[in-house]
Amino acid sequence: MSLLFALSPATSSCAKPADAPVDAPTLVASLRREVPARTAYAEVRFSGLLERPLILHGELEYLGPDRLAKRVDTPYREQMRVEHGEASVQRGDRPVRTFPLGQAPELEGFLRGFAALLGGDAAALERDFTMTASGAARAWRLVLEPRDARLARRIREIRVDGSDATPRCFTTREGDGDVSVLLVDRLADAKLAVQVSQPQVDALCRGIDAR
Amino acid sequence: MTPATRRWSLLGAWLLALAALAAYALHTLHVSTDLRSFMPPPRTPDQTLLMEQIGEGPGSRLLLLSIEGAPEARLAELSRGLVAALRADAHFEQAINGAFDPSALDEKLLPYRWLLSPTLDAHALDADYLADQLGQRVEDLASPAATLLKPLLPRDPTLEVLALAQRWSPPKAPIVRDGVWFSSDGAALLLAQTRGAGFDPAAQGAAIDALQAAFQALPGAGAATLAISGPGWFTVLINERTRAEADRIGLVSTLGFLVLLVLAYRSLPSLLLAGLPVLSGGVAGAAALALLFGSAHGITLAFGFTLLGVAQEYPIRVLSHRREGEDALASVRALWPLLATAIVSAAIAYLAFFASGVTGLQQLAVFTIAGLLAAGLSTRFLLPRVLPERFRDVAGRAWLARAVGTLDALPRPRWLPWLLALLGLVVLWRTPGPMWENDLAALTPVPQDLLIRDAKLRGELGAPDVRYLLVLHATDADGVLALSESIEPRLDALVRRHALDAAELPSRYLPSLATQRGRQAKLPDRATLERALAQASADLPFRAGVFAPFVDDVEAARTLEPLTPAAFASSPLGARLAAMLVHREDEWLGLATLSGVHDAAALDALAGATHGAVRLLDLKAASESLVVAYRERILRALGLALGLLALTVVVALRSARRAWHVLAPMSLATLLVIVVERASGLSLSLFHLVAVTLAAGLGLHYALFFERPVADPAEARRTLHATLVCVASALLVFGLQAWSSLPVLRAIGLTVALGVGFHFCLSILMARARR
Repeated sequence: MSLLFALSPATSSCAKPADAPVDAPTLVASLRREVPARTAYAEVRFSGLLERPLILHGELEYLGPDRLAKRVDTPYREQMRVEHGEASVQRGDRPVRTFPLGQAPELEGFLRGFAALLGGDAAALERDFTMTASGAARAWRLVLEPRDARLARRIREIRVDGSDATPRCFTTREGDGDVSVLLVDRLADAKLAVQVSQPQVDALCRGIDAR
Repeated sequence: MTPATRRWSLLGAWLLALAALAAYALHTLHVSTDLRSFMPPPRTPDQTLLMEQIGEGPGSRLLLLSIEGAPEARLAELSRGLVAALRADAHFEQAINGAFDPSALDEKLLPYRWLLSPTLDAHALDADYLADQLGQRVEDLASPAATLLKPLLPRDPTLEVLALAQRWSPPKAPIVRDGVWFSSDGAALLLAQTRGAGFDPAAQGAAIDALQAAFQALPGAGAATLAISGPGWFTVLINERTRAEADRIGLVSTLGFLVLLVLAYRSLPSLLLAGLPVLSGGVAGAAALALLFGSAHGITLAFGFTLLGVAQEYPIRVLSHRREGEDALASVRALWPLLATAIVSAAIAYLAFFASGVTGLQQLAVFTIAGLLAAGLSTRFLLPRVLPERFRDVAGRAWLARAVGTLDALPRPRWLPWLLALLGLVVLWRTPGPMWENDLAALTPVPQDLLIRDAKLRGELGAPDVRYLLVLHATDADGVLALSESIEPRLDALVRRHALDAAELPSRYLPSLATQRGRQAKLPDRATLERALAQASADLPFRAGVFAPFVDDVEAARTLEPLTPAAFASSPLGARLAAMLVHREDEWLGLATLSGVHDAAALDALAGATHGAVRLLDLKAASESLVVAYRERILRALGLALGLLALTVVVALRSARRAWHVLAPMSLATLLVIVVERASGLSLSLFHLVAVTLAAGLGLHYALFFERPVADPAEARRTLHATLVCVASALLVFGLQAWSSLPVLRAIGLTVALGVGFHFCLSILMARARR
C-alpha cells in the first residue's frame, strides 16, 4: 500500500501558486481525506517524567467522521480505536479495554478536533478551536487553540505543519509543557536519534523545504 | 341580666374557653408524620431493624434525580453545580453524580490505599510487578489519556487510586458523558441521600424544598427541568395529593352540609351553633392528647376526627326533637337518657382501644373518648342555653307525617334479617381473593407513570432496591467487615449468575483489620522497594527519582495503624460506611444493599449457608407482618369493644329484648357492609375497619332512637326527621369521599356511606317501635 497515495488529497483543486498566503478554512478544506485513509507515523513524545523522549512507530487510520484508529508497532504493540463516542484499547495480548470518551471530556474534544481536521470539516473545527494559519501553500502552519476552558487546561494548542494539501507534523502542546509530535507522510520514516531534542523535531517539521 | 345577654355572654365564654384550649393543644401537641410512630412497638430485633430501615435505611433515604431539557454540556454543568450545592446542604448526607472525585480518598488517607485496595492480595510490590506496571505507564504516557494520568504517576505509578475509585463507584454505574452520569436518553443523573427518614413527610418535604431551591438558584437552570423520584419523593407527593383532595372534598361536603341543615331547620343561627359541640369535641380531644401524650401521629388525628363525626348527631337530635313552645333545655332533658346511653356506650367501647397496648390506638381512644364526652356534655349543658328561642317545630311538616305513615305501612317480615345474615355469610365464605389488605402502601398508591419512571431511573443508576437487605451479624464492627469479606466471592458468583444485578457490602469500602494487616505485611521496606524499582525501570525512559513520592508513601504505609470504621468516618465515604454498620447493645449489624434482585431464593440459600450470621431481610414481607399484627390487635380491641357496648346498652335499657332490637340491626348492617365490599372485590384494610366502627356508632344512634317507645305521633315524626337529617348529612359527607380518586379516602367514604344506608334501613326494619 502506498502511504503517499493514501494520504494524497481527495480534492485535487490545489492548483494555487506555491507561495500564495493561506487562509485557515481553505487550508482545512484541502486536507479532507477519502475514507479510509491510512498512513504510517512516527510519534515523538517529550515528557517531564521521562529522561529521553518516547518514540513510537505505527499506523494511523482515518475511518470517517468521529472514527479514528491508531496502531503502535514499536516499541510495544497496541491497537486503539475511537468510534461512536467510545474508545477501545488493546495492548499486546491483554483483553480489550473499552471506555466511553465521556469519562474524559478533554480527550473527546481533542479527538473530535483531530477527526474534523482529517475530515476537512472547517466548520466543526471552528466550533471547538480558534484557528490561525500562517506561511504559504508550500510550507504552511495551522495552529488550533481549544475554545473550551477545560480542554485548554489540558491541551494548550495543536499545531499542524504541511505543504500544499499534505500535512506532515501534528504537534500537541499539553498544559503541563509536555509535547507530542506526530510525524506523518514522508517524515514517518525520518531517522530519529534516541535522544532527539524538541528543537530538532521542530526543525524537521518546519524544514520540509530545506530538506 | 336579660335572657339575651345571658345567652351572648355564655356563648362568649364558651368560645373563649375553646380558643384557650385550642391554643394550649396547638402549642403543646407535637404532630408526628413519621409512619413508624403509628406502628406497634417492635418486639423482635428483626422488627426493630425493620422499623429503623423503613425510614432510615440507606435505600429509603435515597432520592434519584434527573436533569433534562438543555444541551448536554449545560446539563453536565448543572449536575456539577447541584452536587456542590447539596454537599453544602445540611438536609443531605451525600450527593453523587459520577464525576471522578480524587478527594474520595482523603489526602491524609492516601498512604492507606495499599491497605484498602485488593491489589496486594494478588501481587507483591516486586521488580516483576513494578516492571509490568511501569511498562504500562510508558504506554499510558503515549496514549491520549496521558494528560489525565500524568499528575498521578509520581506518587502512584501503579494507579492504586484509580483501582479504589473503581471499586467504590456504584456497582452498576450509568454511562458517563462530559464527566458526569447520563441516562441512555440524555438526561443528567444524580443520587442524593437525605439525612431525614424516608417515610417522614415533613423531613422529606424540607429536603425536597431545599433541593428544588438549590436547583433553581443554579445559574442557567431556567430552561432545564429537575425530576425527582424515590421513596421520600413519593411520601411527600402522596401526602400533598391526599391533603389536597381531602380539602377539596371537605369544602364541597361542608357547603352541602350547611345547605342541608338550613333546609332542615330554616334557621342560620341554630345551624352555626349546632357546629359548636363537634368543635368542642375536637378541641377537647386534641387537648387531652397534648396533656397525656404530648404528641400524636397525624393518622391518629385523622382517624380521631373521622370517628368524632358521630358527635354531629347530638345537636341534630336536639334541634329536631324540640317541641313547639318548649324550652330547648327541657327538650334536651327529655332526650338526655338516650343520648347519654349512646355517648357512654361508645366511650366505654373505645376503652377497649386503650387496653390494646399500641400507642397509636391508645391515642385514638383518648382523643375519641374525650371528644365524645366534650361534645355530648356541651350539647347537654351549653348548647340549649345559647340556642335562639325562636324556632319551628319540625313535627308540623306535612311531608314528614306522610313519610312516617309510609314507613309504618311497610311490611316488616321477621325472616328477612335472618335470610340477609345467612346470604351475607355465604357470600363472605365464597368470595375469592384475600380478605385483608396487608400492604399499607396499596392504600396510598404511587401513580403508575411515576413508578415506571422510578424503575427506569433506578435501573440506569444501579440504585439499590428498597425491598431487600442482607443483614450481617457479628460481635463487633470488625467482625462484620470480616464476615462481609468472606461472603463477597459467593455474592459475586450470584451476580454472575444474574440472581441479582449488584450488591454493596460494607467491606467494599473498608476491609477488616486482619486483611489490612495482611496487606501491610506484604509491603517491602524502603531499600527493597528502591532496588525493585531500579531494576524494573532499568530499560524504561523514566527520569531517575521521579517516583520518590511513591517510595515515601509505601514506607509510610508500612507503619500505619489499620483503619477502623471510626477513623474512616472522617473521609467522604465514611458516611456511606457508617450507614451500613449498626451498633446494638450486644452485637453489630452490617447492612448490605442489593440492586436488581431477580432470585431472592438464591440469596436466601446463601444466607442459609452461613448458619444465621447472614440473613436476607425482606422489608415488604416484614412490614406486612407488622400490619397483620396490628390488625389483629385492632380486631381484638373491636371485639372487646362490641362486648362492652352490648353490655352497656343492656344495662341502660334494662332489658335484653330491647337491647337485642338495638344491637341486632347494628350488627347485621356491619356484616352487610363487609359483605358488599368483599363481594365487589375489595380487600379490607385498617382504614375500612375504622370506617366500619364509625358507621356502627351512627347505626347505634338510629337504632336507639327508633327503638324508643313513643306514644306521641309528633315525637315519632321528630325522631324520623332527626334520623333523616343525620343520614342525609352522613351520606353527603362520606358519599363524596367515596368518589375520591385516592383509595384511602375511598375506603373510608364508601364504607361509611354504605354503612349508614344499611344501618338506616335495618333500623327501620328491625328496631322501629311498632305502634
